[in-house]
Formats: sequence, C-alpha cells, structure tokens
Amino acid sequence: MIYSLLVLSSPASGHGARTAAAFARCILSRGHQLYRVFFLDAGTEVGSSVAVLPQDEADRLRPWIDLSEQHGVELVLCISSALKRGMLDENGSRRHEKIGPTAHPAFIVSGLGQLHDAAANSDRLITFGG
Amino acid sequence: MILHTLATTPGRDAFDNCLAILSPEDAVVLLGDGVYAGIRKTEACKRLRADALAAGLIERLGPITVVDMEGFVSLTERYPRQLGWY
Amino acid sequence: MKDRKTLLVIVRQSPYGSSLARASLDTALAAAALDQPVSLLFLGDGVLQLLPDQHSEAIGVKNIGRLLGSLPLYDIESVYIDAGAAARYQLDTKDLVLPVKPVDPAAVRRLINDCDNVIGF
Repeated sequence: MIYSLLVLSSPASGHGARTAAAFARCILSRGHQLYRVFFLDAGTEVGSSVAVLPQDEADRLRPWIDLSEQHGVELVLCISSALKRGMLDENGSRRHEKIGPTAHPAFIVSGLGQLHDAAANSDRLITFGG
Repeated sequence: MILHTLATTPGRDAFDNCLAILSPEDAVVLLGDGVYAGIRKTEACKRLRADALAAGLIERLGPITVVDMEGFVSLTERYPRQLGWY
Repeated sequence: MKDRKTLLVIVRQSPYGSSLARASLDTALAAAALDQPVSLLFLGDGVLQLLPDQHSEAIGVKNIGRLLGSLPLYDIESVYIDAGAAARYQLDTKDLVLPVKPVDPAAVRRLINDCDNVIGF
C-alpha cells in the first residue's frame, strides 16, 4: 500500500510528531511505500536544524533524517507555516535576507499542492496532531 | 468504516465530537492524551502501548485492547479512512 | 495527479485562537485551486469561524470571516455546519458569512464515509 502522512504537531509539545516518526518507520518495515510526509502548521517545527533540546531527552530530528537518508522518504514543510515560524531553507533565507537557513536540508520547503498531490497518489493519508 | 485516532483527554470537546459520530463499524485508537480515556473504561478502544506506559495506565486497562505500533499500522491497512481528533 | 479524489476538510478550531484555523482553510482553498473536489465541514468550536461581523484588523491578522465569505467564488463543493454546535452557540445558520448546510451526527458520518480522503483539523 502507498501511504502519505500529514504532521500537524510541534516536536516540542505533545505526542503527534514522535508518533508519526515511529509510524513511518513501522509502515516501511511492513513493506508499504511512504510517498511523502507533509508538515503543516506547528508540524513544520520538526524540520528545525537550530532547535536545542535537553540532553536527556530523545532527539526529535534524527528519526526524520534517518527516514530521508536510509529510505529516501520525501519530507516537505508547508511554506506559509514554515516562514511564519522562522523555518527557512537556503533559498528562503536569501530571498528574505535572513542570517541563514534554519530548516535541515533533509526537508523541502514547498506549497500545499504537495499535500494534495500526496493524497491523490496514496492509498492512505494519515494525520497526526496533538 | 472510520479509524478514529483520539489524542485528547476526555474533558476536551474533540473527545465528545468523536464519540458523537462513532458507530460500531468504526475503530478508535487512543493515543497521546487520549489514553486517559482508559480511566473511564471506554469500550472497544485500542491504545498505543508506549503512550499507556508513559501515562502509567498499563495496569488499569479494563476492556480496552492495547496495541503496539504494528497493531496501529495494521488497523490503518484495514480501515480506508483515518480521522484524527486532538 | 492520478485522479480526482474527493476531499473533506473538517474544521474544529475557533478562528483566532490558533494558527490551525487558517491552515485548515488554506488546505481547502489549495485543493479547490487544483480542481480537486473539496467540501468543508465546520464542527464544534469551528462553527465560530462563521460568525458575521468579524473585525480582525483590531488584532492585526487576516479576517477569516471575509476569507470564508469569498469561498463561493472558489470551487468548494459544499459547506456544512454542525447543527448541534450552532445551536449551542446560538448561531442563526441563515445569518452567517456564507451559505451553509446544517448537519446532524448521522449526516456527518455519511459525509466522512462518502469522501475519499478526510483531514481533521
């Protein structure tokens, strides 16, 4: 089966982002395909390469980078949500004249069309909030 | 046939909104803050082992089935639509 | 895109209490812009987005009521309102920012079961 995921929750609060990463790993281990993970609203904070977490807590970014590097999973941050939260890629930081990119390069910054393309091309769209 | 993922405490509106449209052909996965619904002995619900453990509810499960991530994924294989409540 | 799947967007957030309200509308509008059949359902606190006479200039953010009022210009298939929540907030469903169809829980179930994809905000 082909899956796509929509992540709405911040990695700094609640359970949604962590559950989504574990879910993504599990569907791949069961032989499914993961077409795309789309991060919207507070979910775009998942892609931050500048967040600093307490050392005794789990790394919130690493599981996603692993999914991208080991399984080629496409990770997309919604551009309007990302900009509001200071999540910029190389291009965005230049265009808006900010000090530098803040989104990890494993993530693409793009529009909501990528969510609808994912829904159209997947058998399952699973949303993670909270 | 709807797979509801309920990630809010029973005190929040989203919880009641979800229960209002439940039907016997649906399944509910309690996750995140949703696991506290276990205290109310809500029937026919499933919950994630990790969240239940974190909330200290693993000993008080009652009629709810505990599922791990594999179990959660297998439910998404069976149900064509998932609706998240949080 | 492979085919035109139908989408139901469920909006449960009050208009200015969180950024999720705007995100849900943007999601529906983007689908419409891509010619994807999309319907909107305002459920629970989401019905508050439909209140007329919003003046969000006072808090320096875009007016959600005005945005919703322009929905008939986009190709949004249908807009539904949770009749129970509308009654709880004493909303007159004939006097909102755009025409809506009141639905009860049984009708909400049917809407969800009839669409290809549902996204709950």
